[in-house]
Amino acid sequence: MRLEKCWFCSSTVYPGHGIQFVRNDAKVFRFCRSKCHKNFKMKRNPRKVKWTKAYRCLHGKDMTQDSTFEFERKRNRPERYDRNVTEQTLKAIPLITKIRHERQKKHITNRQKQGKTKERERDAKELEQDIQMLPKKDVMLSTQKTKVVVKVSQQQTEENLMEET
Amino acid sequence: MVQYNFKKITVVPPGKDFIDIILSRTQRQTPTVVHKGYAISRIRQFYMRKVRYSQQNFYEKLSTIIDEFPRLDDVHPFYGDLLHVLYNKDHYKLALGQINTARNIIAKISKDYLRLLKYGDSLYRCKCLKVAALGRMCTVIKRISPSLAYLEQIRQHMARLPSIDPNTRTLLICGYPNVGKSSFMNKITRADVDVQPYAFTTKSLFVGHADYKYLRYQVIDTPGILDRPFEDRNIIEMCSITALAHLRAAVLFFLDISGSCGYSIAQQAALFHSIKSLFMNKPLVIVCNKTDLQPLEKLSEEDMKLVMEMKAEAMKTIAQGGEPNEEGVLLTMSTLTEEGVMSVKNAACERLLDQRVEVKMKSKKINDCLNRFHVALPKPRDSKERPPCIPQAVLEARADAAAAKEKKKLERKLEKDLENENGGAGVYSASLKKHYMLANDEWKEDILPEILDGHNVADFLDPDILQRCEELEREEGLRLEEEVAQEAFQIDGHELTEEQREILGQIRKKKALIIQEHRMKKRTAESRPIVPRKFDKDRKFTTNRMGRQLSSMGIDPNAAVDRARSRGRKRERSLSRAGNDGDDMDIDSQQPNKKLRALSRPRSRSKSRPPEEVVPGEGFRDSDQKKKAIKKAKDSVKKRNKEARLNQYDCLIDITGSRKERVKKSLSIQS
Repeated sequence: MRLEKCWFCSSTVYPGHGIQFVRNDAKVFRFCRSKCHKNFKMKRNPRKVKWTKAYRCLHGKDMTQDSTFEFERKRNRPERYDRNVTEQTLKAIPLITKIRHERQKKHITNRQKQGKTKERERDAKELEQDIQMLPKKDVMLSTQKTKVVVKVSQQQTEENLMEET
Repeated sequence: MVQYNFKKITVVPPGKDFIDIILSRTQRQTPTVVHKGYAISRIRQFYMRKVRYSQQNFYEKLSTIIDEFPRLDDVHPFYGDLLHVLYNKDHYKLALGQINTARNIIAKISKDYLRLLKYGDSLYRCKCLKVAALGRMCTVIKRISPSLAYLEQIRQHMARLPSIDPNTRTLLICGYPNVGKSSFMNKITRADVDVQPYAFTTKSLFVGHADYKYLRYQVIDTPGILDRPFEDRNIIEMCSITALAHLRAAVLFFLDISGSCGYSIAQQAALFHSIKSLFMNKPLVIVCNKTDLQPLEKLSEEDMKLVMEMKAEAMKTIAQGGEPNEEGVLLTMSTLTEEGVMSVKNAACERLLDQRVEVKMKSKKINDCLNRFHVALPKPRDSKERPPCIPQAVLEARADAAAAKEKKKLERKLEKDLENENGGAGVYSASLKKHYMLANDEWKEDILPEILDGHNVADFLDPDILQRCEELEREEGLRLEEEVAQEAFQIDGHELTEEQREILGQIRKKKALIIQEHRMKKRTAESRPIVPRKFDKDRKFTTNRMGRQLSSMGIDPNAAVDRARSRGRKRERSLSRAGNDGDDMDIDSQQPNKKLRALSRPRSRSKSRPPEEVVPGEGFRDSDQKKKAIKKAKDSVKKRNKEARLNQYDCLIDITGSRKERVKKSLSIQS
């Protein structure tokens, strides 16, 4: 029993779900549900359909290249059963998947961070430019300098003058 | 095949007829009309066509003759010799050669004259050329007409030749004239050969067919042979000699022991010895005929001796593999009483068959059909055991092999037996993992999960997965540290302070307000009645102002203000309420009245007006006057509207007075 990938949206097809289409050139297309199947029949390119994984990976929305993907590789030759290896594998799979999920999340947050910086810049710019719209008395910026009168003794000013000359 | 089907040769016409046929055909099949006024090329073409057509026809007909007549070299030597005997090979070849040359000459003539015709300049000249060409061709044919006649004769004779297949089983009957060959022939086949008391009744070969053991045999009757030197033989004798020489057949040499044919046994014996060379490799049977007149036993000594000599010769021709059985060599019979006829035939056929089978066995072709043979075993005729003889060593070896096999079988328990022991097919399911070859036998019955958390376990299987996992975790650790460092670095970026954000919010609010106002301004005044601009450019006419003025005059302004407000406010929902949610309660006090109109919001129901109430205004003194005016307006429009709603099928019933009352009553009762 194998979990397959839907050809259109790249989600997993569990046993008992979906449709498999075999073309005359012996290429097999698996679909997870009729939505993908119908899209395929309409000859839509999954790389152009926004909600598919193909689109997302192509446009850099999701993580594409990572070392965690190397762990999962389809092998064509069957391996002889070894209990120890299997135990280790079964233990390792959740760890690997956890790491992969973390990395995917990080990828997305990184992507979105760029938007945040842009927003901040925009706000800063807007603040700078459009602050003139508000009447001056309403705006009290800490950065603005207020006039403070400081009394300076006579002696000090004379001393300064002396130094200058 | 031309070999034995001389009947299919087409008739060779005599010379004159040949010419007539061709010329008449030319006349019929080519266009006949030409005038001297035609274009010269057309005239030329006309005559060239005629010449060409004649030549082609001559060529075709002569070719058919040449092709259909058999070539003596290509045909079976029997036929070749036969035809030679009958028609003289040289004459035959000459005749055909002449035909061939005639054909070539005609071709040449036509070529020459066609070349000449190409340059013919008048109709008369072309015509002369054509006449000359055809004339010459006809002369050629006339010259070969004797050959044609000769060939026709040959053809007729050949058609009547018996169709002898030189390769099949044949019995050849030969001997002196009048010994009883033809009568024998009549007896065993359905052929109806002439039997007469004079010699040379049979003048040519005759073919009949007889059956023996489900096979068909050709029986060839030959004309009698006289004892003469070879060169002196006439054509008829030569026929039989040819047959003897070339056909691979069983020979039945007929002896007339009674002497009633006119020749003594000595003479016949002499003949036999003179032609015995022809009996090479042929099964020979000596048949003593006419035993009803003279039985064999009663022969004289010398005659007996001669016969025995002949028999000795015949014995030599027995097939090598066969047993020397004397019965098959010398036979007696009488065609008159039909005594021994069948046995003769059978013996001859048997001999021939044996010989042919032997030859075939020695040839290579046998291997092709060897696998089609089947050896049928005979039915036991008595209860005596006749087992095949197997040597003792072989028997022992076989017994050993059998024992080993038995032992092997007992050692291994079949899966089927296991199944039967444990309850049969439906109850027991065989453990397919029994014979797995694993590093540790305890693992054989392990259940391996194939799917885990939406992944195929088989894709992850790897002997050094632990190591790689550790590496991965290390990597991950490093990455996390890096991330933390990066985040720390980024925190002191350009972040807005609380104050700045507040100011930004205000800026945005203001922007939104400006936008709203602009949108408001874009709307026309048709949907809501406002004080026209010419009266209220600066938006001075507000309810607050009115209220102030009234109160300064001493009148309570509340009612008036309410009434004004209910008329002036927009009833639709506000376009944007951004930033205004908290300010709803403070609309009247804080913000200017222009804002009032700008900030459209849905009206609260507490100040609503009932629908029938008519508010004074629009130039009327009071509500009553206004009501009257409204009523008048409605009345004027009523009839028109009613008529508008009618269609052509509605009829107007004019109900007046009391009738109206009655109708009304009835309607009310109904409803």
